[in-house]
Amino acid sequence: MNTNLWLIRREFWENRAIWIIPAVFGALLILTALFGHMNLPTLISPDEIHTFGAAFLVVFGLMFYSVMSLYATWYLLDCLYADRKDRSILFWKSLPVSDTNTVLSKLIVALIVIPVVSFVTADLTALLAAFIVSIRMRASIGAALWQPDLWLQMQVLWIYAVFAAAIWYLPVAGWLMLVSAWAKRAVILWSFMPPLALYIVERWFLGSNVVGRVIGIRLTGLPAVALNPSGGKSWHVDAATDTLSLPSSVLHFINPLGFLSNPQTLIGAAVGVVLIIGAIQLRMRRSEI
Amino acid sequence: MAPLIEAHDLTKKYGAQVALDRANLSVEAGRIVGLIGPNGAGKTTALRAILGLTSYEGRLSVLGRDPFRERTALMQDACFIADVAVLPSWLRVDQAIDFVAAVHPRFRRDRATGFLAKTQITGNRRMRELSKGMKTQVHLALTMAIDAKLFVLDEPTLGLDILARRTFYDALVNDYMDETRTILITTHQVEEVENLLTDLIFIDKGRIVLDTSLEDVATRFVTVAVASDRLEAGRAQKPFYERHILGKSELYFENADREKLAAFGELHTPSVADLFVAKLSGSAA
Repeated sequence: MNTNLWLIRREFWENRAIWIIPAVFGALLILTALFGHMNLPTLISPDEIHTFGAAFLVVFGLMFYSVMSLYATWYLLDCLYADRKDRSILFWKSLPVSDTNTVLSKLIVALIVIPVVSFVTADLTALLAAFIVSIRMRASIGAALWQPDLWLQMQVLWIYAVFAAAIWYLPVAGWLMLVSAWAKRAVILWSFMPPLALYIVERWFLGSNVVGRVIGIRLTGLPAVALNPSGGKSWHVDAATDTLSLPSSVLHFINPLGFLSNPQTLIGAAVGVVLIIGAIQLRMRRSEI
Repeated sequence: MAPLIEAHDLTKKYGAQVALDRANLSVEAGRIVGLIGPNGAGKTTALRAILGLTSYEGRLSVLGRDPFRERTALMQDACFIADVAVLPSWLRVDQAIDFVAAVHPRFRRDRATGFLAKTQITGNRRMRELSKGMKTQVHLALTMAIDAKLFVLDEPTLGLDILARRTFYDALVNDYMDETRTILITTHQVEEVENLLTDLIFIDKGRIVLDTSLEDVATRFVTVAVASDRLEAGRAQKPFYERHILGKSELYFENADREKLAAFGELHTPSVADLFVAKLSGSAA
């Protein structure tokens, strides 16, 4: 266990972007909150106040999570490639640390550590921004940003999002790590060329689009599988009245049992495990490029 | 006592190219072994196999273990310096010490810091800020602080100037070597390690050409300089290699009758470098 913690610490040493990106992004948002132009409608009904408070937090979480997802994708492509390229793999392999531990520590950094860092920095930034915005706009929004139950619910949502995304994106992470452990150059090209080639071949010769659909669902389908569209009041945008309504509680919104029992979740996770075992096997056999 | 490293019919192919071709070798504990061969002879592949960095065919046992399957366990008792360029550029000296101390049960931090205290290197420096010579010192400090039974060095002084090379080997011999350690070193700068070694392994085209101790070299190999008018008579004694310089021919013999050869002139034990050239040219002929 101790070794694994040090392996994760090592990733922070090497990849300082894990905290620099959210720190810079957070600082920009704080500057915007301080000096940006703001024009908010006066909130009157409890529903409006509730929705505004929730939307504020959700937007912060999603912004950080989106930025860091892009970074995590790059991290996964680079993590088993960079040390082969600069030959430092020969140093790491001279230590009594197994390739399984090494690969899993990097997987955990991408799927757990980076998302947790995103949500923690999102929360901290939201806290500071809420403070600033509440002072600047106190006439119109009052205490809409200080609803303890919402803050608490969002933490539940973030934890659930980390957990669900880690399982859902396991095959994506596994594929990226396999490419990272295998490619001799051009990891980015190798990450999308084979799936793209499969897609094109299928379209041309079979006229069907199974590959495209499977990849599309994997990349964009997480909310549909992990969240509960029918439970309670769901997300709803009413264009006529320009209002956004939210479920009364996030606990009605998340759907862990449905997510975990969905065949797409389970098949994806199984594929992910196979790809990661493949990445470990490659890591054992490949040293420098 | 069983040999520390024992390879039997060790073979490694990369596609059609054979890097190791049924190589047999054994290394006893407490020796300093030079694995010497020209570029592309299979030195690095042999070391990679011994260190568990590559799969292979044939039998190989290092410290009683199968290196490829048991690399993690093996690395508790064996350590290696691939070459000085491999310390990651982003790593800080103190981070390197912290990390190795945390993951290596046989690492003695005080030894590493004690070694570095004698240098100009401070803990807050990143590897990319250090000169090649300084990086070597860091790597050596990290590695020598490990109580390992086997220490493998692959071209450790590549790209270093003469001062840094001398410092490196002095530190290795004075601060590290004792009868409980075994060192396996590859280099193509034979002259540099000649005085260090107790054993020689020559490798060429993936095959072991010679595996002997330095004491045996003196009894097994002999050279004699022969004047050109007696060259044919000298050749009748079946030298395995001849070298022509300044009107004389230097003939190399293996397991020859020294009394007969003495008639041609003074007998010499060849240097490791000369023996290397002779053995490899001889085997190629």
